[in-house]
Amino acid sequence: MAKSVEEVADAMYKLVKDADGLKKLKAMDLIKSMTELYGDEVDKKLCKSAIKELINSGKCVYTYFGGSYIELPHREGAAND
Amino acid sequence: MADALPKTPMLDELEKGGWPSFVTEIKLAAEKNPMGKDLLGLLERSYKEKIGHWKHGGIVGVMGYGGGVIGRYNDLPEEYPNISHFHTMRINQPAGWFYTSEALRGICDIWEKRGSGLTNMHGSTGDIILLGTSTDQLEPTFQDLAKIDFDIGGSGSDVRTPSCCCGMARCEWACYDTMAACYDFTMTYQDELHRPAFPYKFKFKFSGCPNDCVASIARSDMSIIGTWRDEIQIDKDAVKEYADSGMDIDSDVVGNCPGKCMAWDGKELKINDKFCVHCMHCINAMPKALRPGKDRGATILIGSKAPIVEGALLSSVLIPFIKMEPPYQEIKDLVDKMWDLWCEEGKNRERIGEFIQRIGLGNFLDEIEVDPIPEMVAHPRENPYVFYEDYYEDEDEDDEEGDDE
Amino acid sequence: MADERRTDYGPPHYEKFLPPIIKENYGKWKYHELLKPGVMVHVSESGAKLFTVRAGSPRLMSVDKIRMYADLADKYCGGYLRFTSRHNVEFLLTEQSNIDPLIDDLKKIGHPVGGIANSISAIVHTQGWIHCHSAATDASGVVKAVMDDLYEYFTETKLPGKLRIALACCLNMCGAVHCSDIAILGIHRRPPKVDHENLYKMCEIPNVSASCPTAAIRPATVDGKASVEVDEDRCMFCANCFTVCPAMPLADPLNDGVSIWVGGKVSNARHEPMFSKLAIPFLPNNPPRWPEVTSAIRKLVELWASNARKYERMGEWIERIGWPKFFQMSGIEFQKEHIDDFKHAGLTFKRSTHLTF
Repeated sequence: MAKSVEEVADAMYKLVKDADGLKKLKAMDLIKSMTELYGDEVDKKLCKSAIKELINSGKCVYTYFGGSYIELPHREGAAND
Repeated sequence: MADALPKTPMLDELEKGGWPSFVTEIKLAAEKNPMGKDLLGLLERSYKEKIGHWKHGGIVGVMGYGGGVIGRYNDLPEEYPNISHFHTMRINQPAGWFYTSEALRGICDIWEKRGSGLTNMHGSTGDIILLGTSTDQLEPTFQDLAKIDFDIGGSGSDVRTPSCCCGMARCEWACYDTMAACYDFTMTYQDELHRPAFPYKFKFKFSGCPNDCVASIARSDMSIIGTWRDEIQIDKDAVKEYADSGMDIDSDVVGNCPGKCMAWDGKELKINDKFCVHCMHCINAMPKALRPGKDRGATILIGSKAPIVEGALLSSVLIPFIKMEPPYQEIKDLVDKMWDLWCEEGKNRERIGEFIQRIGLGNFLDEIEVDPIPEMVAHPRENPYVFYEDYYEDEDEDDEEGDDE
Repeated sequence: MADERRTDYGPPHYEKFLPPIIKENYGKWKYHELLKPGVMVHVSESGAKLFTVRAGSPRLMSVDKIRMYADLADKYCGGYLRFTSRHNVEFLLTEQSNIDPLIDDLKKIGHPVGGIANSISAIVHTQGWIHCHSAATDASGVVKAVMDDLYEYFTETKLPGKLRIALACCLNMCGAVHCSDIAILGIHRRPPKVDHENLYKMCEIPNVSASCPTAAIRPATVDGKASVEVDEDRCMFCANCFTVCPAMPLADPLNDGVSIWVGGKVSNARHEPMFSKLAIPFLPNNPPRWPEVTSAIRKLVELWASNARKYERMGEWIERIGWPKFFQMSGIEFQKEHIDDFKHAGLTFKRSTHLTF
């Protein structure tokens, strides 16, 4: 049975949260993990919608350090307040 | 705003001379905006110290998008507080960089209100660059731009803003409609442009002919360069006019032909089109007399990039000739296959050209289901270390011989 | 309703910005001619004529300047204009009589007309100290100094062929200078000074190690903190590590500067596209006017201009005469740095007796 966008977004959020401070994850890492976790119940399109949901909800943000990552929102290292 | 501009004796030197001065531009902006003032001060300091003062941000953006904003903070925020944040926004330019005065004024009004009032027209990839604003102005700027129909461009590991030459709008050499193709691809890949999901960046550039005015063969992961496959169109009278007006057709045109497929006997220009390499030289030299053929399309090449990480590459041929007709489905199907493979197997920060180098063009072609053809190489391999993939065991050999009987 | 944000609508459709004459003659242009430096006419099958006036710009422009352009477009060409891939601005006229008044007005606001045909077009370049974190030199300043010096070659068409100059302020080459007749490239020459105090907070160590094309970066513990060490003999100053990790800065006023590369081209005309090759390994950063750079470039331009055949680009000319002659004629000293030692370097060695004496 196909998973819902919300379910996948939640599972992705958990991955990002668990990896926080240990490893920066890329969009493709999230998609690959979901395929491992849910097999046929997800496809790439669903995973992309889930990432969109994850970002639009504000629970995660895109970051860039020589490549683009998806992380929990945090204060920027280089920022000046 | 009555404060005087900072003293900038070194930068002032760059207001001298004939070429238009960027320092004058910054001063113009500084009359209205304290950001310009601090930028002058900080830049003068860089000129004295011979070092930059910017830190690379990596988080700021507009809501929902993962590209198009380049975070910048200066490393002396107490001294230059007005440019403590100085983020760049990349705005997707209209195809061919055509504008109306009204559209430009719309952008100017927004940027005067929301940012430094400084721009680049344009950035290296082709975007309109809005240079310098603070974090809290990013989202409002985007909202204002949305009202005049300008969207944000790419940055990071995404499809970068595609760009094209002016093509059929103002060039007789355009072998396909570059602006239509550029716009179409840009719209098709909006999600990939705004939500980075690749190992690294991916650029499309559309040039209408092999003169390649947007440098697609050097600067894009997929280079789509117009060409033709029938005969160059010759206007004999116009050839004669060039000759009569003193052009040395033998040395200027025939002598420069890389295909050595032309002859001029003083009366008639003959081209053996079978051996024409479509370089454009003769057409460039005699634009009134020669034109590309009528059976037009494009050559698709893949993989060019600047040096970082594994060295610079030029694009190489993937499809020698393809008709360029909307919705360009054959090309897009190929793009999908390439992206799937590259996303699955590519390393972080590995451009598709580097990826192809690593896994081998032959293997890459296998995976995207394209047959190898001689047009793809400058020459076949010189080294004998061939990865032959099939071999026979003893028992197979009997079968083979059996077939002969 | 209120939270329905408009996204992914893309750029405005280009048709909105095309003047009527272009809409009417789209895909029907027959030929074009240079009328004088910076001015060309495109003639359609229908006989319609479109005049283009091209002017140089500093690329970095204030909104006030863009408004001046907009005013000129309103005054002379129905409000239509465009920019080129080399940062020039082009006004699209239907009235030939408007050409000279427009050129006069452009001169009044300090913008020269030129850059078409056998000339030096505007320099494609990067941000430099104005906005970049990894710049090894400024961009706009060097470009301004070089273009001041080469001004006559923009406004006139007295060269044997086209000459394209580009500047990138570091090896990232946002300006993709690697296929230019003359490329100015900002370079670092000192290995990264690792900020051991902060590296573990800012960067993922496996990523930093993996970023190095020569595997010169290894994980290490320094003062009890996880960090990296750099095998300085293997560092070729690409700054890729700095891009993924801000705790690896390479910028250094004593050692940063520019290198000059020659002979690249993008166009397929005659010779296939070529990379630029190293001509001068190092010139100092000498702001505000980089005299060593402007003088080196003028010499290269003039050497090519006085020796190349008609149409011959810098790289085609050098290929014809051979690199030893180029070094001899230019007076540039050939050094160890000129010999490639990265991947496939052997392909760049001279592997024949085709030599000139």
